[in-house]
Amino acid sequence: MNLSRRRLLETGWKIGGGLLGVIAGWTSWELLRPLKAAGATGKIKVGSPGNFQKDTATYFGQGRFWVVNTSGHIFALSQKCPHLGCRVPFCESSGRFECPCHGTQFDLGGEWISGPSPRGMDQFELSIEDGDLVVDTSKKTDGPDHGARQFYRDPLGPSCAGNG
Amino acid sequence: MSDTSASPAPPADDLEPQRHAPSTGRIRWRDSEAWRSVFRHPHLDTPRGRALQSFSNVFLHVYPVKVPARVLKNRYSWRLGFIATVLFTILLVTGVYLMFFYTPTVTSAYGDMQRLRTGVGFGQLVRNVHRWAAHLMVLVVIVHLARVFFAGAYKRPRQFNWVIGVGLLAITLGFSFTGYLLPWDQLSYWAVTVGTNLVSYVPLLGAALRDLLIGGEQIGQATLQRFYALHVAVLPVSLAVLLLVHIWRVRKDGFAVRRGDAGSFAEAASDPGAGVIVPPTTPANADAPRVRLLGVVDQESVTAAEHPADDTVFTWPHLLVRHVVVALGTVAVVLGLGVAFAAPLRAIADPSHTPEPAKAPWYFVGLQELLSKFDPLVAGILVPAGVFIILLALPYVDRNPATEARRRKVAITLFTIMLVTAVTLTIIGALFRGPGWKFIPPWQHSYLEL
Repeated sequence: MNLSRRRLLETGWKIGGGLLGVIAGWTSWELLRPLKAAGATGKIKVGSPGNFQKDTATYFGQGRFWVVNTSGHIFALSQKCPHLGCRVPFCESSGRFECPCHGTQFDLGGEWISGPSPRGMDQFELSIEDGDLVVDTSKKTDGPDHGARQFYRDPLGPSCAGNG
Repeated sequence: MSDTSASPAPPADDLEPQRHAPSTGRIRWRDSEAWRSVFRHPHLDTPRGRALQSFSNVFLHVYPVKVPARVLKNRYSWRLGFIATVLFTILLVTGVYLMFFYTPTVTSAYGDMQRLRTGVGFGQLVRNVHRWAAHLMVLVVIVHLARVFFAGAYKRPRQFNWVIGVGLLAITLGFSFTGYLLPWDQLSYWAVTVGTNLVSYVPLLGAALRDLLIGGEQIGQATLQRFYALHVAVLPVSLAVLLLVHIWRVRKDGFAVRRGDAGSFAEAASDPGAGVIVPPTTPANADAPRVRLLGVVDQESVTAAEHPADDTVFTWPHLLVRHVVVALGTVAVVLGLGVAFAAPLRAIADPSHTPEPAKAPWYFVGLQELLSKFDPLVAGILVPAGVFIILLALPYVDRNPATEARRRKVAITLFTIMLVTAVTLTIIGALFRGPGWKFIPPWQHSYLEL
């Protein structure tokens, strides 16, 4: 192989520059990527299952989630709308979760009813330790897809956002 | 005498100072060693004197010594690029002032904002001016881009400068967006929540990119710190560098596109020698042989260049005076808005309560409107990314050299549709949407957030 000095230098600085770019990108990524500890995640004890009455939603600001009891099933639902992250409040008058940002509605079990959200409300892992419910906010699963109707029921009354 | 006319016949050039009688202290001071060490060339009212002053002054050197006379006409550019630069300068000055009173922590940012309103002399006014200048800069940059498009000024040789301009638009949006979070109130918190969650719809890398942007899974201290660093360091430096290249290219490309006699934009953009007419001519003495350095050539091959009359004028004072007037006007407008309308400051950011409605900043609210109707991947990622890709590729895809509107019907129609759609979505989102994104006309209740 006939490799002239000029050719070697021309190729060498390109490879060197490329490597430098990769190293700079990698270093930046390692520097800037968030640490796991930065998120407000962890196990949160929310009390005895008997504390959660049927067809109610209870908010826990510490972990930013709702604990709901719908038809005897208890879930821990993330407060974050899967659409664009707005906090989804529970509307007592309609008995549904209603997102104020784009009007997505979810039933008490977090299933999608209407609006632009791509799925139902995300859920945190729930377990029982020493008779108490424990929500692990580090373990989140995506909400049910459109079409899930396990806990659907007609609205109890008017919507809080006035959407019907 | 009109300033727009061609420059008068140059007076006799004289590099020696036209010294006034040293009767006043001012003149004596200007003759001193100290003055001359700063301003090397005395003020000489001759073409060469003015040129020397421009060359030897870093600020005047931004401009060329002479510019085409057409540049003096406002209708050529509406000075939009210059106005945007003035607004950027206002933002830099007011931004530095605000930095003296602001700490980017979730525990003190909001309090600093309150203190700025009540405990700092002119603090509220400076914040108002900063806010309004930011809004206006976004608006002016977008209008500037539209004007450049309609003038066909993205065509050869200006393609790359158009690309830089699109980059400047992106940085301007980034500026406004990162600054939006800094007051740490409900408005900023939820607008940025909505905005950053868009990123999570990027295929494959979405969640990682979003976490990288906000420094975690939720908006908090890391987000505020990152946005602050971007806002006061990364973006200003990036914008300044790109702006430098942008202005330099504007100079090198001969400023605004030339207009035809009929008033339409009619420059043959691909003609690098625009302004120099080179017709074949007959030599003065047709019978005599023409002798050139390398031999005798026949008369038909000999051409002479005919230069048109000089249509350039001195930048200083002609263009500079106009720029000073426009800059003062811009400052007056921003100051007027700052005095009349206070920058909003809602309740402190509360992650457990989303206000109704939670709207993105006005320049993203059209996207939010789209998101309420279409899949987020389409409305939040594909549409905006598509718009930017179209804008970046435009000068290389549109190979039609014509700049007159009547010969660019397809491009102008498509761009107009895109612009009108964006404006309509923005108006609907900003003015006609209320709680639950319900359609509420502004005459019933205004939910406009600025």
